[in-house]
Amino acid sequence: MKIVWFTLLAVAGAAFGHHGFAAFDKNAEVTLQGTVTEFHFVNPHCIVEFEVKDDKGQVQKWSGELTSPVHLSPRGWNATSLEPGDKLSITGWPARNGVHSLWVTKVVSNGKELKIGGGN
Amino acid sequence: MISTFRKGSVLACILLAGIVSGQSSPSEGIPVTDPLVIAKCGSCHATDDHGIMQRISWERTTPEGWQDVLKRMVLVNGISVTPPEARTIVKYLSARHGLAPEEAQPVMYDVERRIHVETSIPSENLGKDCARCHTFARALSWRRSSDDWKQFMSIHTARYKVKDGAEALAFLTKAAPLHTPEWDAWSARTSRPTLTGRWLVTASILGRGKYFGEMKVDPAGDDEFNTTVHLTSVNDGSSLVRSGRSAVYGGYAWRGRSKGNEPADTARDDPSSELREVLWIAPDQSTAEGRWFWGEYQEFGFDVQLRRPSPDPMLTVVDRSSLKTGSQANRIRLIGDSLPAQVRPADLNFGPGVSVRRIVSRTGSEVIAEVDVAADAHPGKRDVALGRSVLPGALAIYDRVDYIKVAPESAMAAFGNQTHARGYQQFEAIGYQNGPDGKAHTDDDVELGPMDVTWSMEVFYAAQGANSDVVGKVSSTGFFTPVSDGPNNNFDVWVTATAKSEKDKNGKLLAGKAYLVVTVPTYTFNGRQYVRDLDRWVDDGPAPK
Repeated sequence: MKIVWFTLLAVAGAAFGHHGFAAFDKNAEVTLQGTVTEFHFVNPHCIVEFEVKDDKGQVQKWSGELTSPVHLSPRGWNATSLEPGDKLSITGWPARNGVHSLWVTKVVSNGKELKIGGGN
Repeated sequence: MISTFRKGSVLACILLAGIVSGQSSPSEGIPVTDPLVIAKCGSCHATDDHGIMQRISWERTTPEGWQDVLKRMVLVNGISVTPPEARTIVKYLSARHGLAPEEAQPVMYDVERRIHVETSIPSENLGKDCARCHTFARALSWRRSSDDWKQFMSIHTARYKVKDGAEALAFLTKAAPLHTPEWDAWSARTSRPTLTGRWLVTASILGRGKYFGEMKVDPAGDDEFNTTVHLTSVNDGSSLVRSGRSAVYGGYAWRGRSKGNEPADTARDDPSSELREVLWIAPDQSTAEGRWFWGEYQEFGFDVQLRRPSPDPMLTVVDRSSLKTGSQANRIRLIGDSLPAQVRPADLNFGPGVSVRRIVSRTGSEVIAEVDVAADAHPGKRDVALGRSVLPGALAIYDRVDYIKVAPESAMAAFGNQTHARGYQQFEAIGYQNGPDGKAHTDDDVELGPMDVTWSMEVFYAAQGANSDVVGKVSSTGFFTPVSDGPNNNFDVWVTATAKSEKDKNGKLLAGKAYLVVTVPTYTFNGRQYVRDLDRWVDDGPAPK
């Protein structure tokens, strides 16, 4: 079973996600404008943290979950694809429980779309 | 003892072996000459007059790869082998149908059971076809003829529902052929490993730092060796002695097991624990590197380098990882072997911008020096040299810490209890200065070594807001311990290291994060011990004598 465990790690480390989309509302896609604060190019999911100003000008902290590095790498992504300060237009499915998280379906950084592809 | 069962499935084995008509030219196959392999495998895998055996003559792989095959043949196709027979078969196949060292080195992370992000998979389709179920390295741990890759893919498609293996087949046929220049050269020159004697060892454990010492290797017959390792911690001076036994497959693949001479304490991360040794020995047999690991999920381990000593002075490790520009009278300890009786400041070289103020002390195994770093020293890695002995990039010079990276950046741990073993995780915070490109997280960044940080945890995403106490605790040293097995089944957690003193340009303490998935333990079935026994031919090293 040791090998099985390692395989689990490898799966997390290589390809397909460890959870589905149930936590996100696919019927409520939103687009947010914000500024990148951190980008984590890691398994099992890449995470972009960004700040969004609400209607009152208050800064809200958001995070967006993407697919894994193995999906993004063939599309040219790496650890510096998103950098702190980048202007972001990000589209995705918001978390059902209301927290400031979303599953990312489209990323436009500094006016340029970064292709994501499928997979979780 | 491995027993015979599922005899009926032998028919399936015969059928699978029997579809090999149309193999590549027999002259390209690797003859099988071992009587035991012929006896145990020949009833299904027919052999021609030239010793070409169906399937087996057209394949090469690692010891672990052959162990998996033999395990499958026992479990699925009902062959009967005793453990000594199994060891003999795996040893023969690993030598005559193995990988060249140069072929094995890029995929060593697989058999070293490392957390490794495989970002170099050539295409998304290959990722889906191969890495959905196992590491891509596992596929690249094999070499096959084009016909054998076709058969492999046909069986994989049928068994594992690979949707369209055409791209994978084309890639593997080209990237991993049976015959390669590396294999042709290695199979012509390989000889019995001559490893007996004394080796210098340097090692490191995440969260515990560097170790140094030596290993005494004694022959135990048939490419097997007894070992005694003495290691000393650079950080706290604690020492440990380990004894073990190892086998070397194919002239370079070290697989063994060792344990501390003093009983390990109850802490699962005790470096005296019994562990598995996996090393890649360089073709010239002057160095070796690999991982010695333990834990239910192989989550603990030494990163190990071995070097043969020479009569000349040889540096092995430096106690400091980095020095700041403008710092004065830094004490730095150089550890090595056969160091000279006289060492002058001029004998040491730390590169531009670093001057040796004085030699504080010296012995045959260490030199302590005091060094100054110029205020305008250029940040970057420096070689450390004593005479002609050089440690490349052993010391970093920096003027600021730009960011903290937590190692490993992503990891997995497991809930557990008395029945199901927990999976732990040690984290370490590493400081970095941006390189000449001014960007963080690029190849030119300068690693500065472990940072003094405080650790915290935060549950995120679907379970955001949940109390991290239901997941586990991270200690002040970055060691994560999961809670007992319970109704919890999966949590995503940020493990955050916050610097105690280093700040960013806005005056905020630097912080780095690791993505930790805490999930269920490995649930096993009643046949667990029996199946585990099948892993022992390679995993446990040679049988005790």
